[in-house]
Amino acid sequence: MMQVGPGAFLALAAVLFSLGLYGAVSKKSAVMVLMSLEIMAVAVNLNMVALSRWVTPETMTGQFFSMFTMVVSAAEIGLGLALVLAIYRRSRSIELSTMERLKG
Amino acid sequence: MVGYWQLLPEGLVLTGALIALFGEFMPGGDRGAVRIGAALAFSAALIIALDGSSGTLFGGMLTFDGPARFIRAGVAGLTGVWLLWLSGRDIAPDEPRRRDAAALALLSAIGGMVLAASTDLITMYMALELSTMPAYVLVGYRRRDVAGLEGALKYFLLSLLTSLIMLYGLSFLYGSTGATLFADISLSGTGALGLIAALLTIVGLLAKLSAAPFHFWAPDAYAGAPASAVAFVSTVPKIAGAAAMVRLMHVMLPDEPQLQWILLLAAVVSMVLGNLSALPQSDIRRLMAYSGVAHTGYLLLALSSGTQYGYGAVLYYAVAYAVPSLAIMLVVAEEGPALADMAQLAARRPAVAWSVVVWLMSLIGIPPLAGFFGKLYLFRAPLEAASTPWPVAAVVVAVLVSVVSAGYYFRVIRQMFLADEPDSPCVVPNSVASNIAVGIAVVATIAMGIGIAPLLELVGL
Repeated sequence: MMQVGPGAFLALAAVLFSLGLYGAVSKKSAVMVLMSLEIMAVAVNLNMVALSRWVTPETMTGQFFSMFTMVVSAAEIGLGLALVLAIYRRSRSIELSTMERLKG
Repeated sequence: MVGYWQLLPEGLVLTGALIALFGEFMPGGDRGAVRIGAALAFSAALIIALDGSSGTLFGGMLTFDGPARFIRAGVAGLTGVWLLWLSGRDIAPDEPRRRDAAALALLSAIGGMVLAASTDLITMYMALELSTMPAYVLVGYRRRDVAGLEGALKYFLLSLLTSLIMLYGLSFLYGSTGATLFADISLSGTGALGLIAALLTIVGLLAKLSAAPFHFWAPDAYAGAPASAVAFVSTVPKIAGAAAMVRLMHVMLPDEPQLQWILLLAAVVSMVLGNLSALPQSDIRRLMAYSGVAHTGYLLLALSSGTQYGYGAVLYYAVAYAVPSLAIMLVVAEEGPALADMAQLAARRPAVAWSVVVWLMSLIGIPPLAGFFGKLYLFRAPLEAASTPWPVAAVVVAVLVSVVSAGYYFRVIRQMFLADEPDSPCVVPNSVASNIAVGIAVVATIAMGIGIAPLLELVGL
């Protein structure tokens, strides 16, 4: 039977985090950016749970940490979508490139 | 106070927030709820100031020591000043809702107070998010104003991105040491993983403090927001962020001395960029945003020294910067955001104009005001710890750019005293509550300078 070690989980988390980071800085639509940020949050949670399993298997500190971060990121996405909706109602666009009113 | 009673001030502020959120039928309506919030915040600050006990809670996750006491009292007191001002004025000319703003400010204050005491990665992260999340809403408080909402969205996206980067760093910090308590974290012998963890963590905190190169959101976000919201958002979460940075550096700097150079670089870039960008601004919100970047640079300069002296200076100056900065933005909220709106303020409202002069003098660093002593200690810290010429060079740059900063602060003073009367000067109705708030800020700016000795003892300087 094949053993899956901590390296595999950390690598997967790193790949997910990088994909999310790429999406967050390259996408033009605010909703796509929010989704990319959510992928980054998932990567961080995976990282914590994997580290918890291999570094402190008895205390599970990392698993509790990831529970807290999940709640925070859910709240943050809720707030972000509310902001995007409020902007869409006024300007009928959620493209970040059209948001140039404040440049200076 | 002992045990869980040490959380009594947070409990009072939380009560204020809940009253403001759900108190639809409070006597006095919106205004009454804001007044109760101000009273509770002031009493929380008073309890913290009078209660000299120290101790830990939740197995060391919260530590109530001298620095925590100083920062918690500062956060609660400044929130009280802001709410007192709000009870006399609208948050923006066309925005009558006040209770929601009061609830958000009080929730953010709880986050800041817990953050100052937190000595664990989990409590630190939760408190940091609690202190900044209400700030996004305050920045976009005017629902009908697209520019304000876009500023809030930009602020939100960048803040979320950097806090996720920090969280990734925190997960490695936990993974490489097996602990989340600051007391148990030691980066020695963790090699490259420890350094990466520390770097990622610092990125998040630098962005929360709006230090270069993560400062570009601040001027845009503040220029779209109501000036009264900027007054709160640009100061109170920043004080607590500085306290968290000090606690983390306590843990990380001894084992990763390379971080010192990153802090020093961020400090010099922030100081130079902030001060030079502030010079040509004609919107005071933008001007104060860049001035905030510059002041964060001064804080990082002392932080990079990695000594107890430097940490104490950072804690003292975080509050010594926040008081005048908050007060100036409150006056801007009354008069109007453009530099031209301040014209002939001295003729219209001489007391307010002279108050602004006191605050600007403190920001420039004129004795005997709080800002002078703050800058003195900030700039001395790297000199005392310096083993190479680079920190000394950075201090020379800091002194030079603070002279440059006098240039744009004096532009505001010139506008108040010497500029021509505008064609249609805005008439600001008198309000006792907001005048008292302004008065408290003046007294605090002077008292923090004259009565500095007990405060220095508190921050361990």
